[in-house]
Amino acid sequence: MLLEGLMAVLQPFTIILIAIGTVVGIIFGSIPGLTATMAIVMFLPATYSMSASQGISMLMALYIGGISGGLISAILLNIPGTPSSVATCFDGKPMADKGEAGKALGTGVVFSFFGTLIGIAVLIVLTPVLCDFALKFQAYEYCALAVFSLSMVIALTGRDMPKGLVSAVLGALLATVGLAPIDSKPRFTFDLFQLNNGFALLVLLIGLFAISEVMAYAEGVRKDQSFTVDNNAKIKGAGFSLKEGIAQIPNCIISALIGVGIGILPGIGGGVSCMISYTVSKNISKHPQLYGTGIMDGVVASESANNGTIGGAMIPLLALGIPGDACTAMLLGGLQVHNVAPGPLIYEKSGAVVYAIFFAMVIAAIFMMLFMLLGMRFFVSVLKVPKNYLLPVVLVLCAIGAIGNANMLFDTYCMVGFGLMSYLMIKSKIPTVPMILGFILGPTFETNLRRVSQLASSDKFWSHPIFCVLMIATILVVIFSTRANLKEAKRAEAEEANS
Amino acid sequence: MKKNAKYMMDIVPGIVIALFSLWYLSMVPGIKTFTGMGSTPLTNHFVPYLWGGALLVLGLWILIRGIRKRAAFVKAGGTIEKFDLKKGIDEKREVILSFVILALYVGLMGPVGFVPMTILYLFAQILILTPTNKWKRTYVPALIVALICACLFYYLFRYKLNVLLPQGILKNFGL
Repeated sequence: MLLEGLMAVLQPFTIILIAIGTVVGIIFGSIPGLTATMAIVMFLPATYSMSASQGISMLMALYIGGISGGLISAILLNIPGTPSSVATCFDGKPMADKGEAGKALGTGVVFSFFGTLIGIAVLIVLTPVLCDFALKFQAYEYCALAVFSLSMVIALTGRDMPKGLVSAVLGALLATVGLAPIDSKPRFTFDLFQLNNGFALLVLLIGLFAISEVMAYAEGVRKDQSFTVDNNAKIKGAGFSLKEGIAQIPNCIISALIGVGIGILPGIGGGVSCMISYTVSKNISKHPQLYGTGIMDGVVASESANNGTIGGAMIPLLALGIPGDACTAMLLGGLQVHNVAPGPLIYEKSGAVVYAIFFAMVIAAIFMMLFMLLGMRFFVSVLKVPKNYLLPVVLVLCAIGAIGNANMLFDTYCMVGFGLMSYLMIKSKIPTVPMILGFILGPTFETNLRRVSQLASSDKFWSHPIFCVLMIATILVVIFSTRANLKEAKRAEAEEANS
Repeated sequence: MKKNAKYMMDIVPGIVIALFSLWYLSMVPGIKTFTGMGSTPLTNHFVPYLWGGALLVLGLWILIRGIRKRAAFVKAGGTIEKFDLKKGIDEKREVILSFVILALYVGLMGPVGFVPMTILYLFAQILILTPTNKWKRTYVPALIVALICACLFYYLFRYKLNVLLPQGILKNFGL
């Protein structure tokens, strides 16, 4: 079966399909507003006439390219191409501003590749074990996981904790719009059918990052600001030295494993994994104060994690038939179209196709790295396009992405609304990133909290060790992060008083 | 930054957040709940109350912090400057204009159509993001960029990627 899978992928036509899929995925991922999910949706019909191995290989290439491409706009424009690359902006953009765009892109690309490989390795080796573990996650565990992930907000907020918390709560509050979980009663929809499904994450992301970037530029028009970013540094190889790369290996492994772990759990996804791994990387680093100023570590943490999530998300998809997010739901559709039934018997019934998927993922990861490294000089040249032309065009692409999300013009109105909200938040020194965490985790928390309330009479929490461990971890994170933040705030106050 | 702007960064957002959370909390009782068989002990009101309450507490926290900072500022002999709305609007002219044209762009895209609105929006936004002394040299390139992008994106996304971009007046021409 292993050889059969390998032979199916090593056909010239399949390799061409994987190459095309990777390039298209990178393009979709790099344009803010277009996502890997859209790429898979659009290319799914094109795979109908192909064999299972060919079709699924192409879809996998679109998935990997789509997740990886997000780093390009995150680094060059400070606008994440996909939710998975939100944390890449934190250090990627400052690096680009320092004239190290090539190094930031190279770091992102290479460690995206390693993150993907680690994810695939875990997928191949540990699928049965991890599926058993994932099945242990029920209402109690998901509820605790959501609380634990939300507690990470405190670490992300920095010196102004209340404002960071406001942002996270606002995100969770926005997620209450739409049909309520479990009983499907409409909440805060104001009788608008367009709000029944709530706000889309993509639309929120565009509003928060793309519009605010245009407004930040608009603010400086009368000041003597440059139209382009100075990036004359010559890019050699991947943009960073071997020594620098080797120093990042532990960071990459830890972050990729966090990505895999979060990827396994349905409903959490790459958007959360990149932020959690960034926070963890910052907390365990010897120089946490440098995070956010433009260092490789931040880009490595974010990119290794979001690509590790790919392998993680494939585990429940293949072994249990449970898609973790919209992207894997589309892949599930693709598998079913090609008569591959995911589930515990997938190795017995479609073993060759499963191995073909693994090999296709590896080849797509190699193509992704090659194409992105080769295209790096071209990507960096985007910075030479005057921003007064570039930003409006990007905003139009974002509007198209918002419309294409659900083929509704209404989403563009929300996009502008979120843009205004984001601008006001930035002016009030309220960070916008915790809002994404609150928005993603709010529904997971609510659904499982309400399920727990139903179970609590017969199923006590102490019979759930994972729940207990996560709650203890949450308490520890809250205590240590609050202490660190208070120290930082006191130091800042003292500095302010001295100046 | 003006010295007194530091406490305003807390007072104004604190008031807005507190008022917003009160409005949000006042909307919660109006949500219909399901109380039939299989309903959960925690209704769909619980989490909105939780988030709304948390936001109210945080809003008040920031507001009180701002008031304390203001008191400390006054005690230290600082003078409170009055906010000049006219000056404020003038300082943010480009931002306000950008939001207005963006709102008009998405608001009129349905009836007028993607292509004409995108041409107008791109042209106007490029000019807004360009210092006025460089406008003369920008008119023609801005118009060319606007025309090419609008037509290219419309063709690519509507006809090749099946995104339902509004046709608007182009419907009359069968495009």
